[in-house]
Amino acid sequence: MPDSGAIVLQYPDLLIAACLVVAAGALSFVMRLRLERRLAVAAVRTTVQLLLVGYVLKWVFSLDRAYAVAGAALLMAAFASRAAVRRPTRTFSGATGRAFLTLVFSGFLTTLTVTGVIVGVQPWHKAQYVIPLLGMVLGNGLTGLSLCMDHILETLSERRDEVEMELALGATRWEAARGPLSEGIRRGMIPVINMMTVVGIVSLPGMMTGQILQGADPLDAVKYQIVVMFMLSAGTGLASILMALLIYRRLFNPRHQLRAELIRKRRGPL
Amino acid sequence: MNALETLLSIEDFAVSAGGVSLIQAFSLEVRRGKLVAVLGVSGCGKTTLLRAIAGLIDADRGAVRLKGRVPEEIGWPVYRRGVAHVEQKPVMLDATVRENLARPFAYRTARTPFPEGRAAELLGKLGLYGIAMDANARDLSGGQQQRVSLARALLIAPDVALLDEPTGSLDEESAARAEDLIRAETRERGMAALVVTHDKTQANRWCDRVINLEGRLAPGNPALRAAHAAEETDA
Repeated sequence: MPDSGAIVLQYPDLLIAACLVVAAGALSFVMRLRLERRLAVAAVRTTVQLLLVGYVLKWVFSLDRAYAVAGAALLMAAFASRAAVRRPTRTFSGATGRAFLTLVFSGFLTTLTVTGVIVGVQPWHKAQYVIPLLGMVLGNGLTGLSLCMDHILETLSERRDEVEMELALGATRWEAARGPLSEGIRRGMIPVINMMTVVGIVSLPGMMTGQILQGADPLDAVKYQIVVMFMLSAGTGLASILMALLIYRRLFNPRHQLRAELIRKRRGPL
Repeated sequence: MNALETLLSIEDFAVSAGGVSLIQAFSLEVRRGKLVAVLGVSGCGKTTLLRAIAGLIDADRGAVRLKGRVPEEIGWPVYRRGVAHVEQKPVMLDATVRENLARPFAYRTARTPFPEGRAAELLGKLGLYGIAMDANARDLSGGQQQRVSLARALLIAPDVALLDEPTGSLDEESAARAEDLIRAETRERGMAALVVTHDKTQANRWCDRVINLEGRLAPGNPALRAAHAAEETDA
């Protein structure tokens, strides 16, 4: 990717940009929206989190070792899985571990397919490619996973009697679970499908915008973006399907019983 | 059809709910063509016992056999189709009456296609003549839903019907029709039925055998404690 033509920002530039947030805060104050404090905290968190990530990535990039990339990737998957299971209103014991496995498998498989087969990155673990692409797959995967999990757990709790009625009349666990599982996977996939439908028309995706800002040819940036969109749809689809299957294996036992007692409402704010 | 054949045997069953032991050492043999009532006070664990016999939840101990075979041998879905369980509160899918009745015939355990004529016959015997098969089943009254639920279970021709207060939300006439139909199924088809109820009069009038759960309640059973407390208050 060419990097000519890019204007490098300095720290004072960030301060000027912060004025935009201050302006938004002032508007909130004038209109009595009482969002000033939350806006300030969010702005500080954004700055600190991104600067930290920047330093960590710089360190990982400088190491350029497979173990460092793998370590960073696993850490990202761990954070993503924790975030994914905190979004749904219900959870079950073992949800985080299953979300982690799901995101590691779906994230690594789709990312490494893109970097290794399509882009042909050498060496395969080159952090400059693997980390940002994996980050996008994990970000979308966690949204899909949590929407899928939310629907399945909600349905199995709220409509437990329907599922058990089917089991009572001779349905296999798969036949009784198939409806909620399919709908959960569908819901997990909807955001990425919507995104693919409107991309370029309603908004320019962040990665493509970034490349163009860096001076890349728009058509080259578009090609990358198309690959990224396909990668995100595959990653999200895989994450939703895998999580649905893992929930199924957890909540339906070999005696074809629904173990609804394992589902519990999450405590505390979402 | 061997009239003396034991269709369902329950051996040394113990069940609990929420970690509280409810019923223990419950054994029973249900023979072909017989209607057996399990009688117990409200909250003593009748529903839990029936759900455990249906295999919807695990019993703490004990075994069930359908025609001498354990569920693990024939497969749990096949076992459950053989012992169709009907909940006290009818459960209707958000679908038409026809789809609700036809649903069990879409399962892998189904051996025949949906017998629509037989479905209409059963609904008629339950007093639901001319019910709109294309109406959403959830729009029916509670009593109508209970009868559709009963017809749905009888339609799959189970060896044993596990019925939880099957006439609980029916008026007198509809309850009599339901009792007659189940009785006819036991005579004509050789089906057996295990009915849990708290209605002693109905159990004595309708069933061939009445089992009182009183002696099978676990010491910690809340219903037993409530009864003791009531006795002490009376004294």
